Amino acid sequence: MTAYIIRRLWQMIPTMLGVILLVFILFNWVGGDPAYVLAGKISNQEQIDNIRRQLGVDQPVWVQLWIFIKQVLTADFGASWSTNEKVGSILLTRLGPSLTVLIPLTIIETIIAIGLALAVAYVRGSLTDRLVMIICTVGLSISILVYIIVFQYFFAYKLGWFPVQGWGNHFLENLFVYASLPILIALVVSIAPDLRLYRTFFLDEINQDYVRTARAKGLSEGRVMWVHVLRNASIPIITHLMAAAPALLLGSFLIERFFSIPGIGREVILAVERSDFPVIKAITVYVAFATMATNLLADLMYKAVDPRVQLK
Amino acid sequence: MTESRRTLTRRALAALACAMLALPAAAADMNKVIRHVFPVAETGFDPQAINDLYSGTVAQAIFETLLTYDYLARPSKLVPKAAEALPQITDDGKTYTFRIRRGVYFTPDPAFKGKKRELVANDFAYSLKRLVDPRVRSPYAFLVEGKIVGLDEAAEAAKKSGKFDYDAKIAGLEIVDRHTLRIRLKATDYGLSYVLAHEPTSAVAREVIEAYADESGRVQANPVGTGPYKLSKWVRSSKIFLEANPDYRGFVWDFKAGSDPEDARLVAEMKGKKMPQVGRIEISIIEEDQARLLAFQGGEIDLMNMEGPLAPNVLDGGKLKPEFASKGVKLSRFVDAEIIYHYWNLQDPVVGGLAKEKIALRRAMAMAYNVAEEIKVVRNGQAVEAHYPIPPGVVGHEPGYKSSIRYDPAGANALLDKFGYRKGADGFRTLPDGKPLVIRYASRPDSLGRQQDEMWKKAFDSIAIRMEVQKERFPELIKAEKECKLQMRTAAWIADYPDADNFMQLLYGKNIHQSNNACAAIPEFDKLYEQSLRMPDSPERNKLYREMTKIIETYAPWRLDISRYRNMLAQPWVLGFKKHPILHAEWQYVDVAPKK
Repeated sequence: MTAYIIRRLWQMIPTMLGVILLVFILFNWVGGDPAYVLAGKISNQEQIDNIRRQLGVDQPVWVQLWIFIKQVLTADFGASWSTNEKVGSILLTRLGPSLTVLIPLTIIETIIAIGLALAVAYVRGSLTDRLVMIICTVGLSISILVYIIVFQYFFAYKLGWFPVQGWGNHFLENLFVYASLPILIALVVSIAPDLRLYRTFFLDEINQDYVRTARAKGLSEGRVMWVHVLRNASIPIITHLMAAAPALLLGSFLIERFFSIPGIGREVILAVERSDFPVIKAITVYVAFATMATNLLADLMYKAVDPRVQLK
Repeated sequence: MTESRRTLTRRALAALACAMLALPAAAADMNKVIRHVFPVAETGFDPQAINDLYSGTVAQAIFETLLTYDYLARPSKLVPKAAEALPQITDDGKTYTFRIRRGVYFTPDPAFKGKKRELVANDFAYSLKRLVDPRVRSPYAFLVEGKIVGLDEAAEAAKKSGKFDYDAKIAGLEIVDRHTLRIRLKATDYGLSYVLAHEPTSAVAREVIEAYADESGRVQANPVGTGPYKLSKWVRSSKIFLEANPDYRGFVWDFKAGSDPEDARLVAEMKGKKMPQVGRIEISIIEEDQARLLAFQGGEIDLMNMEGPLAPNVLDGGKLKPEFASKGVKLSRFVDAEIIYHYWNLQDPVVGGLAKEKIALRRAMAMAYNVAEEIKVVRNGQAVEAHYPIPPGVVGHEPGYKSSIRYDPAGANALLDKFGYRKGADGFRTLPDGKPLVIRYASRPDSLGRQQDEMWKKAFDSIAIRMEVQKERFPELIKAEKECKLQMRTAAWIADYPDADNFMQLLYGKNIHQSNNACAAIPEFDKLYEQSLRMPDSPERNKLYREMTKIIETYAPWRLDISRYRNMLAQPWVLGFKKHPILHAEWQYVDVAPKK
């Protein structure tokens, strides 16, 4: 197991180098020269050159690339070009609000989607199954923007059940007051696709011989479904969950922007609008690293869930 | 009594009177809160370093400039702020002498090591030096560059040595005594007073800058000023909390009503109150239009600027819709001190140059553009057509002036026919020499950019000129513009200060590669502009501006487009609020009525 983990960690190095190169080329190709914006309304070439020198964008490309690599190695991405705030500080302060929304959302959504998927898989082909699938299809067809606008208008403004927007000073206040409506909207949006996906995983398992054997042995339907079927369907579910996990670091762009949540998603949009390369590259590198780390974690979890899995 | 004794006695009496009149900010009630909203995130609060309206708004509340504007007077009228009085202007507008108020203190900060720190003349000199310090790379260096005797030389020396010598004497920034600053200019400039009312010239304390500066010599997160408010908490890009500065001297609300009938109500609500009344300001950053409007309607925010896209939800014509008016919501509306204009690059081989056929081409394009339709379709009716390059609210504006360039596609076609821009077999016009004529219109890849593309496509179709759209991201547009590489684009200029010069310099030949985005060098215009620089606001200077406007219409480097309305909404319980065209932090002038 240790050898496997070490080997996988080694494999991350070339992948990370690829990410660094890709981000660097993309930003230098389409990112634009920030000096012209930072210089203000009336500026001359000398001032623009001075800004480029301070930002380091006047250096040869290979020097800039080497600086980027060193930044990744030291996890120090310097300061934001537009605010001079340390990038590390930006990410740390924005991560909390994003996770306050996304962790409860992921937990609730996973529990509800698995529970409902198991239930409709159990009654597959019935009217209930068809109705749920139709609702899921309709739900999938509506943009998250529509949900946000409608829910914000009715539940927050008209009914006054939630604040229209905002973020407080304390975790519990944020979780129960400000994050409730965003979580509700994200739940409505994300349950439909996950429910459909998990249902197919369960349907694949329900038709297996071991399920018939379990029933023949007289096990209760609850035990058959919640223990045997669920456990065997866990591997694709874990794969799905782990593939989505790095998105926790990215926050939810639209939700955070519409509800004025000071999270990473909102910061990413701001950084793109301002051509703030240090922030963009830090977030991209962290997400890339998180993707590789969660992939490794998913492999380890397969082994924990199913002892037959061999890590080679 | 000798003259100096008399002066001393007079100053002592003045200081006593000031001390008696000065009202500490204890008047501010910490239970009174104004909740304001910004649609765009701030960047920081270093007055010499910031470059955006919203950061500048907060800086206005924390720091003080030498001068400011009367809250109600329109057009904007300069009044003293940290200065005791308006400056003594001598030597043909080349020397400005300011006396700084005594007994004005910075808010306490560890950088002052427990001592009370008085605002002195040197603080303003230090702040003006920071504007040209290459390390700070202030976006507002242009306000003082090339103007103050010895300042450019100090900046040059800093570029060579790598460090600005703040202790070196600069002839143009003379500290006459602790509270007297004399600024000497290289040339006559009657507009310096406006510059010194602009927040980038606010006083900062050197000790604070040296204690907290980042590698760029900026202090964005720890603003320490002498203004009515201080920063109490900041959640970047999300919330800004200000608290009344307990050491602020305060003032009595005693502004005179102008011609606006609303002014009488404001005077009745506010006259005689000790200011500031509001103890806390909470600013939320809400980027999305719907969220902002719903938050206002739900009473979560008190003051909100309503941008164009929201207007149809709230306004009917220029008035509030009944559902808002019936709730007592107040609207403060005026035409902003700005112009939006379309420019052609006068260095471009196709549309540039001063030859008659080139002028005819530009005039024809200008005449083909339907400004009224843009106001209706793109701006939701929230703009007026700009006829004069100096917008309303700016000194030098000429009300009632009508531009000779009007929407007239038939006239435009006739002009093109006359100057040899004939239609080819494909139905599109060619250049007089028969070569293809294609105009590249540059715009941003956003919804407004797309709407502008469509407006111009319609205009070009009406005169049978082929048009291409050049889409660039904002930094690339600015870069190409400064390098005179764009053919035409739509640009905006918002007043830094309400003087005509701030707008007329946009076409001055020496400002090519800086603010002259049309890259225009029109000798007649430049000659008149240089004359105008040596004149104070006067009918003679206005006459020059009128002549310069005629030159703009004749050579058509621009098609003047619009000036937008500013619509500021205030909740019924906000008293005394009137949006100022130049100032943006009106919180110190307003009050909050107890909620019923």
